[in-house]
Amino acid sequence: MANLLKNHLARAGAFILAILALIATLAPWLAPYDPLAVNLPEALFPPSSVHWLGTDPLGRDVLSRLIYGTRISLVIGFIAVGVAVVIGSAIGVIAGFFGGWLDSLLMRLVDTMLSFPSIFLLLAIIAIVEPSIYTIMIVIGMTSWMGVARLVRAEVLSLKEREFVLAAKGLGASSSRIILKHLLPNAIGPVWVAATLGVGSAILTESILSYLGLGVQPPTPSWGNILNEGRIALGLAWWLTLIPGVCILVTVLSFNLLGEGLREWMHRPHN
Amino acid sequence: MVSVVTRIDSPAWAEGNSQPTTGDALVSASIGDASRLLPLLASDSASGEIAGLVFNGLLKYNERLEIVGDLAETWQVTDAGLSLTFILKPNARWHDGIPVTSADVRFTYEKLVDPNVHTPYSSSYELIDSVEVIDQRTIRFRYREPFAPALESWMMGILPKHLLEHEDLNTTASLRHPIGSGPYRFVRWKTGQLIELHANDDYFEHRPYVDRYLFRVIPDQATLFLELLTGSVDLAELSPLQYQRQTDNPYVRQHYQKFRYPSFGFTYLGYNFTDPRFMDGRVRQAFNLAIDKQAIIDGVLFGLGTVSTGPYPKESWAYEPSIAAPARDFEKAKALLAEAGWQDRDKDGRLEKDGQPFAFTLITNQGNEVRRQVAELVQRQLRELGIDVKIRILEWSTFVHEFIDKRRFEVVLLGWSLSRDPDLYDLFHSSKTKEGEYNFVSYANPEVDQLLIEGRRTFDPSRRQEIYRQIHRRLYEDQPYTFLFVPNALPIVHARFRNIQPTPIGIAYNLIDWYVPREEQRYRALMQP
Repeated sequence: MANLLKNHLARAGAFILAILALIATLAPWLAPYDPLAVNLPEALFPPSSVHWLGTDPLGRDVLSRLIYGTRISLVIGFIAVGVAVVIGSAIGVIAGFFGGWLDSLLMRLVDTMLSFPSIFLLLAIIAIVEPSIYTIMIVIGMTSWMGVARLVRAEVLSLKEREFVLAAKGLGASSSRIILKHLLPNAIGPVWVAATLGVGSAILTESILSYLGLGVQPPTPSWGNILNEGRIALGLAWWLTLIPGVCILVTVLSFNLLGEGLREWMHRPHN
Repeated sequence: MVSVVTRIDSPAWAEGNSQPTTGDALVSASIGDASRLLPLLASDSASGEIAGLVFNGLLKYNERLEIVGDLAETWQVTDAGLSLTFILKPNARWHDGIPVTSADVRFTYEKLVDPNVHTPYSSSYELIDSVEVIDQRTIRFRYREPFAPALESWMMGILPKHLLEHEDLNTTASLRHPIGSGPYRFVRWKTGQLIELHANDDYFEHRPYVDRYLFRVIPDQATLFLELLTGSVDLAELSPLQYQRQTDNPYVRQHYQKFRYPSFGFTYLGYNFTDPRFMDGRVRQAFNLAIDKQAIIDGVLFGLGTVSTGPYPKESWAYEPSIAAPARDFEKAKALLAEAGWQDRDKDGRLEKDGQPFAFTLITNQGNEVRRQVAELVQRQLRELGIDVKIRILEWSTFVHEFIDKRRFEVVLLGWSLSRDPDLYDLFHSSKTKEGEYNFVSYANPEVDQLLIEGRRTFDPSRRQEIYRQIHRRLYEDQPYTFLFVPNALPIVHARFRNIQPTPIGIAYNLIDWYVPREEQRYRALMQP
């Protein structure tokens, strides 16, 4: 871990993410106003000492909405990736361990899922289920587990030929014991990298969905829908689009930097 | 009637006396593409706009809201309204050169009442008993009973029999490639991008001055507005925000003409009457008292609208003036809800009845920023009463076909644009509740049913006015909808177009008289093959 933090970029990423996590946790204490409080006479006020980042078309404080939006965006990012990791690891380990027709079947499923452009897959699912924060987390997770499945399967394929696994088999350990005690813990390393990168892209996906009006439903603020609501006042109220845009950019970048750092750290020569 | 149309920001020279010249193109833009271009099947505004330029009805409204002939040269109402005879103009021709005859009118009528044609407009023609083609140019309809909206119903676009006779109208290629008799003829349609129309040289009134009409689809309000400002769009509808805050500058004043007039329609909350909570009139009354319409108009519409008290706007002769827009009365709303059994028994700030909290989902369509904001304000205002409102915004075709048509909603936020005749049989009569029909809230009131039928049967204008005012009043008392507001129409047109007349029916009625002086024309003259 000490080595990881020597990587300057990864360190910057981790630092920013730590701040964001802090903001998300302390949102109720940090936000100067109620993020849902409508105040029509103050609609579209530019940034000032009263409203640091201005107000939106309904007169709500943009800073407060962004702070609460951090919560929504991070939570959606982490849980979506959690769902993807659980599904992906399960499918990957089963395919890799049992092999044969089950492996072929599951890998064709992965290929099929990957052959859909994920954004269309998402839009199709969102059109059927009722969009809420929870469905969005699950839907993003369910459409992004394929990479994890491939990674885990590849790891398991090499792990199951290793002596300790063969030994466990020889001693009569059950399949579930081998999978849970020996394969999964050893296959999970590369998944961490994928997951870190995945959180960034899940946040981006949530923003895209909310920007299209299919994500987090009003009045709950998320970065994507603050951006979406600001679009109608483009040129009149720059703070509504620029600031959430920068937030998304910085966060996704931070996750990517951290993920890349993690990858380098894991691939460093073991002493 | 008071003229309520205002014209704003017109450059001083826009009314110059230059002679009309032909040439140039008008680029209009909309956020939604058209879907079906035959008038019988056009049910969205984009399709209606294009079909209106390609086809003609028998009659139309002029700028003073009087009924005048379109394809019809003269018409006669006889037998106490039971018989209606039209004589067609001799020089009306289809775009392929064939004359328009009474056989085409008869054909159109037969298609309107054909149960296999999926038109939402059939109810206005069901009272016709027989049709008689007297000669090439004369046709007579006989009605089973008097039908007051009959004349307006013949503003429906007439279809060419010789081209559609052997076609299934629901699927014919003409839906995407219509041939009509109107001032513009259809040239091409690039789905999701552009519809191109060219001036009809042989149009029976006169050739439109503007050579080409281009209808561009720009699915995003903000992008559309930027395209307007850069000059790639000439005609568009502004949002209240754009009208008040983003077009009030010297550049726009110099290059554009903005218009503002009350639209003939209203925005409302509709309740699903199959839901027992909304069957209780006290609940609907309470909502009407709790929702501050003026705040919505001031905050979301920037004042560009008026509070609505019933289905008819102030400009309609059917409007009932005695109803005062209610002031927001929170205490009374609470009392009404308490009377209906909704009380905050466990003091958690939410109303309950039989242990169930009062919560519902409000659905509306995507792409309309005003509606989204209205939904959020309603949510906020009802929250103060102790009612939890969830908002769900749906893509238009899913919204209409999966939720409205199938009655899968609790409360809906939507708007109606109305025709000039106040007949609202399709919206409020209890028989119009089948899938796809317009009484999707399933409202049923025998008294209103009776009045709607009487209104259709009555010709005497003062008696008719009385009936519709009564309908207006009954609907206000009953609140099948919470009537929110009548928005303003806010079109903007590039300043090089001259002879635009703001009238109570809008600006587009005399489109064929619009022209651009030669020196200001922007698009190359059309090469005739």
